[in-house]
Amino acid sequence: MNDFPELENELRALRPARTSPVIFERIEEALAENCRAPVSGAGSMANWLRRFTETPFRFGIGLVAAAAAVVLLLARINTDQTRNEDKEIAQVAPASETRPVLPAFSGGSGVNGSMSSNKFVPAGATQVVYNTRNEGLQFADGSRQPLRRLRYQTQQTWQWRNPSTGASLRVSYPSEEVVLIPVSGQ
Amino acid sequence: MDNIASHENWKSCFSEIGPGLLLFARQWTRSAADAEDIVQEAFVKFWRRNHRINNRALLYATVRSIALDFIRRDKRRARREATVFADADSTVEPQFEWEDEAQSALAAAVSCLPRDQREVLVLKIWNELTFSEIAGALGISQNTAASRYRYALANLKKSLQPQ
Repeated sequence: MNDFPELENELRALRPARTSPVIFERIEEALAENCRAPVSGAGSMANWLRRFTETPFRFGIGLVAAAAAVVLLLARINTDQTRNEDKEIAQVAPASETRPVLPAFSGGSGVNGSMSSNKFVPAGATQVVYNTRNEGLQFADGSRQPLRRLRYQTQQTWQWRNPSTGASLRVSYPSEEVVLIPVSGQ
Repeated sequence: MDNIASHENWKSCFSEIGPGLLLFARQWTRSAADAEDIVQEAFVKFWRRNHRINNRALLYATVRSIALDFIRRDKRRARREATVFADADSTVEPQFEWEDEAQSALAAAVSCLPRDQREVLVLKIWNELTFSEIAGALGISQNTAASRYRYALANLKKSLQPQ
């Protein structure tokens, strides 16, 4: 190992460049940001909690929260569709359009009601129809009148806002709608 | 067995190991600023995880891991770095403070070493790690670390000999 003692001494005499004073401030700031609470033993509860909130767990919690929000929204949309079925049957959507659906959502009590405890209020909702497919005529159960079956593929976006904190939540997802339009013979 | 998190004055701790850490990080970066970013991230991560300050192999492994992530983060940058490392390995210069021509030549010779030899040399000479710690930091065996060190010294000796 010591075949080159002189060379090793020469190398040790060569000093690496000094650290810039700025890096001390940067590390100090980073330490203050990352660990405001004093750190104790490796197995402490505070340590465990801090690790629990680190990346993988935070992702998991975020995913669960997002999934719950989507389930609530889907439940809400299904009830809206049932309620407005008669009205929708009379409508024919163009090939592509943006439909504001805020009034139907903001007036309800489902998701809006559940969010009210957190003081989140609906801030906007859009439904963009990006594809419409005519699936032909068919007879509904017990109906003698033919119906035209149209399938809309849409992208729905919902937004909520907390007026007191300014925090906002936005959920966007693709959806499919099937509309039956009565065809009257002439 | 001091714990880095309970270290009363982390600044004195960092002032001891900081220059060596930066020099080690410079093996992977083109600029001192990038090396400082890496060292800062590694030091904070090490501090946050509450590791023992004497676990130097882990500290240097953290620096190395963050340096590799840093390079991978931007593919274009990584390509550029890889090209530079492949074509002109010698252009990645560790920063030294030299006082005379002999030291300047020595610094240049160090920067011309292959990267695997240079990182072992940097850890051994300027960070005073044992071969066991170097092996832990680089994920190699102690024998490999020792032989890379010997090769590095032999290559330096050869390159410093008058033509």
